[in-house]
Amino acid sequence: MTDNSASSKRFRVTLVRVMSVQVVTLLLLWWMQSWFSRS
Amino acid sequence: MHWLNWLIVVGWLSYVVITGLRRSTGTKQIEGYFLANRSLPWWAVGLSVMATQLSAVTMIGTTGQGATDGMRFVQFYFGLPLAMVILGVTLVPFLHGAKVYTAYEYLERRFDAKTRSLTAFLFLISRGLSCGTIIAAPAVVFSAIFGWPVTLSVAVIGIPAVLYTMVGGVQAVTWVDVKQMVLIVAALLAVAITLLVQIPVSPADALHIAGAGGRLNVFDFSFTLKNQYTFWSGIIGGTFLMLSYFGTDQSQVQRYLAAKSVDQARTSLLISAYWKIPLQALVLLVGVLVFVFYQFERPPLLFNPAHERAVRAAEGGLYSQLEAKYTGDLATREQAARAYVAAHDRGDDQAAAAASNRLHLAEDSANVVRAQALDMAHRVTGQKSADVNYVIPRFVLAHLPIGLVGIFVAAVIAAAMNAISGELNSLSTTTVFDFYRRWIRADGPDEHFVIVSRVSTAIWGFFACVVATYSANLGSLIEVVNTYGSFFYGSILGVFVLAMMKWVRGTPAFIALIAGMLAVAAVNRLAPSVAFLWYNVVGAVTVFVVGIVLSLPGAGRNTVRTGV
Repeated sequence: MTDNSASSKRFRVTLVRVMSVQVVTLLLLWWMQSWFSRS
Repeated sequence: MHWLNWLIVVGWLSYVVITGLRRSTGTKQIEGYFLANRSLPWWAVGLSVMATQLSAVTMIGTTGQGATDGMRFVQFYFGLPLAMVILGVTLVPFLHGAKVYTAYEYLERRFDAKTRSLTAFLFLISRGLSCGTIIAAPAVVFSAIFGWPVTLSVAVIGIPAVLYTMVGGVQAVTWVDVKQMVLIVAALLAVAITLLVQIPVSPADALHIAGAGGRLNVFDFSFTLKNQYTFWSGIIGGTFLMLSYFGTDQSQVQRYLAAKSVDQARTSLLISAYWKIPLQALVLLVGVLVFVFYQFERPPLLFNPAHERAVRAAEGGLYSQLEAKYTGDLATREQAARAYVAAHDRGDDQAAAAASNRLHLAEDSANVVRAQALDMAHRVTGQKSADVNYVIPRFVLAHLPIGLVGIFVAAVIAAAMNAISGELNSLSTTTVFDFYRRWIRADGPDEHFVIVSRVSTAIWGFFACVVATYSANLGSLIEVVNTYGSFFYGSILGVFVLAMMKWVRGTPAFIALIAGMLAVAAVNRLAPSVAFLWYNVVGAVTVFVVGIVLSLPGAGRNTVRTGV
């Protein structure tokens, strides 16, 4: 049970990190499109 | 090519092949050959999955896509992180815990042999075709650089990859992938730095020019089935494609089946999702910078040097006229680009808007001339134009310093080899376990099956090389690879989804799979303008609905095998 809890926690931590990177990337891409595509 | 570049190419390829062959220890038993004795650490599996995704098709096709079409292609990958999360909590624990060699072996346990065989067969066909297309990408580079026949280029790339895959199995594939990632990232960085140094404006101004040229439009929120790359096709269609590809395609499943534990398997999947979107965005950005570079440096009218030679020989006079017109448009475009940057820097929005308008007009005029040149090339050569695939190779050969050219060429070939090796290994695994062992000879010593797998690796390698020879001129290769896949992936995903519903029976699943593919074929035939990403949704939903409906009458008396 302890191993399962540790595994789940590790998976959740990794999940948060991965999704954070995606969100940050999408925000950067959005900013790039908005800022550099202005006339 | 300068001898130093050759030295780098030959040296790196030799290192890679030797690394792969050295991994053959511990591969005489099937557990070692196919699953690396389930000993691979999560970071190696993760990097290996990423390496397979960052193939030669990415280095040539995606960069070319960025140069000609801009950043919007990155939307294609928006579904990937979602898919990885879903798989991590559903299919991955399922399959890893099942202790199977292939994803399709699980389908027989769950449904029946015919469903397993049909699904495995579809995988073999789609992956075999895609493998050929992946070989074609660097073969195109070689043909452009050295004037070799495509057949020779294909053999030079295919044979080493087949060799170390045959000998070393999944261990060779994985550890070579890890080393290749270093070279590939280095090569892309080299191209990016060269561009930034040689573009005569600041990086910020370069991005403004790219923006003015429409190359930085990442997000397209229009909901239209016909537009290939939109936010919605990426999030919805892309999620379905990625679920199927990473969840059910043996070339990916095999990697996480080889992980030490379920937790490591799930983590390896997430790790490969970590950098996919950022990496693809960077690759596209390299292509966009090439677009900016060519605002200030005259690009060739035709990027494919073989087509250019053929057109000059056949219609030299007309081609020269087009070149003269093209040069004029490019000069106007360059003036407009410089005027835009100057106006932007001094904050004169009105002048910047006027310059941007002139830039667009000059760009449109130049594109008309290019279209005429491409038509001419098509007429003269009889080949469909695949100019987009030559943009980066042409730039690298003409403008990268000695040494860096060798690194880029080596990286392209190496990237192709690591993609091919993974594909070949999984094709061989499925052939051995889902067909040979299932239908021809179930029992035998491990050594016998390892030998059979080596033979099947060679056969699939030959098949892929034949496909590569004919794929070389099929348009943007990254699109070709994914179009092939989208014909089948959605339907295959649907079958695995049905597998998770315990009351669905074998024969309904089989019929549903066929119905899914027929539905995709119908959409392709009757509504050809529908973007290929949506095929995945069509296939998956059709299989799911038909499977559920056909199972309903028997649900109460089900004799479903659920043992895993």
